Amino acid sequence: MLLHTLGRSPAHNAFHDCLAALGPGDALLLLGDGVYAARVGSQAAALLAGSGASLFVLDADASLAGVRECLAPQVTLVDDDGFVALSERYSRHMAWY
Amino acid sequence: MPLTYALLVLSAPASGHGNLTAARFARALLARGHHLQRVFFLDNGTLTGLATAITPQDEQSPLQQWVQLADEHQTELILCVSSALKRGLLDSTEAARYERPAATVHPAFELGGLGLLVESAQTADRLVTFG
Amino acid sequence: MNPVAEHSRKSILVVSRHAHPGSSLPRSALDTALAAAAFDQPVTLLFQGEGVLQLLPAQDARAAGVRNLRKVIDSLPLYDIETVYVDAAAATAFGVAPDTLPASTQWLDPAGIRALLISHDHVLGF
Repeated sequence: MLLHTLGRSPAHNAFHDCLAALGPGDALLLLGDGVYAARVGSQAAALLAGSGASLFVLDADASLAGVRECLAPQVTLVDDDGFVALSERYSRHMAWY
Repeated sequence: MPLTYALLVLSAPASGHGNLTAARFARALLARGHHLQRVFFLDNGTLTGLATAITPQDEQSPLQQWVQLADEHQTELILCVSSALKRGLLDSTEAARYERPAATVHPAFELGGLGLLVESAQTADRLVTFG
Repeated sequence: MNPVAEHSRKSILVVSRHAHPGSSLPRSALDTALAAAAFDQPVTLLFQGEGVLQLLPAQDARAAGVRNLRKVIDSLPLYDIETVYVDAAAATAFGVAPDTLPASTQWLDPAGIRALLISHDHVLGF
């Protein structure tokens, strides 16, 4: 299974290619501009939630973008330590950007 | 169980903050007791090694983050040599070879070939990319 | 480089997702794949998203003064990279016709792409 990181907004190809590649046992960490896909009520968040993958967002980037207080309920906030913990659990990493 | 990590950094220090995210990730993995074998900077990521970069006072300097990491943990910081030369990043050997007035790479970094990235892919348990 | 131990031949998947006149990443992706092949490491190349535009035929780089990427891609079999994978949906969306692709190309649907992603030891996204 894979750890994915997504660094582009939902308007970008990277979002759609990442979404298509997500499997139910995967984890997706949203970072950089990718954090916008974590916003509650957004179509992007609904699409990601439908993938069955575990969803995470990087705290520093969510805070920077101003979306930390309006996260979709399926998305879990992680700090740098949590990012590393995710990389421990999944032996492969794919960066979408 | 401690794992061996290698990082591939493709993003430039001055565009977005993915480069700083990579530096924080490096620090966090060491704090969790893992081994960081090498950080390989490729493409625009090689600009990280530019010794003369000045960051505004109210921002964190990616250069400083990486240099501190290398100082404290003897982390191997490798700039892909072909990407680096193209961008004017020269160590003293390359500056002399190409007859350029000065070295521009910070001494915490070394120039190296893509073979080192390939080696990391073979020997590291985790290879994490920052684009 | 130190000789890599026989037992640790981990496979690498290089995913190239950017178009080339506007980005240097495609060149870096190809260089990485070629380096892996040069060190006899198992490597697979996947073109996805705008990356499929690197496969357009009739590229002429002379006026631009840079490397002709399609020529590099066409030469991959010489370096024992026998198969190149292409995201079929992206190729269709960007109008890259199957009959203009190198003979070594294989089209993949989303399930095929996922199978590639989970069957390699390391994945490098460019």
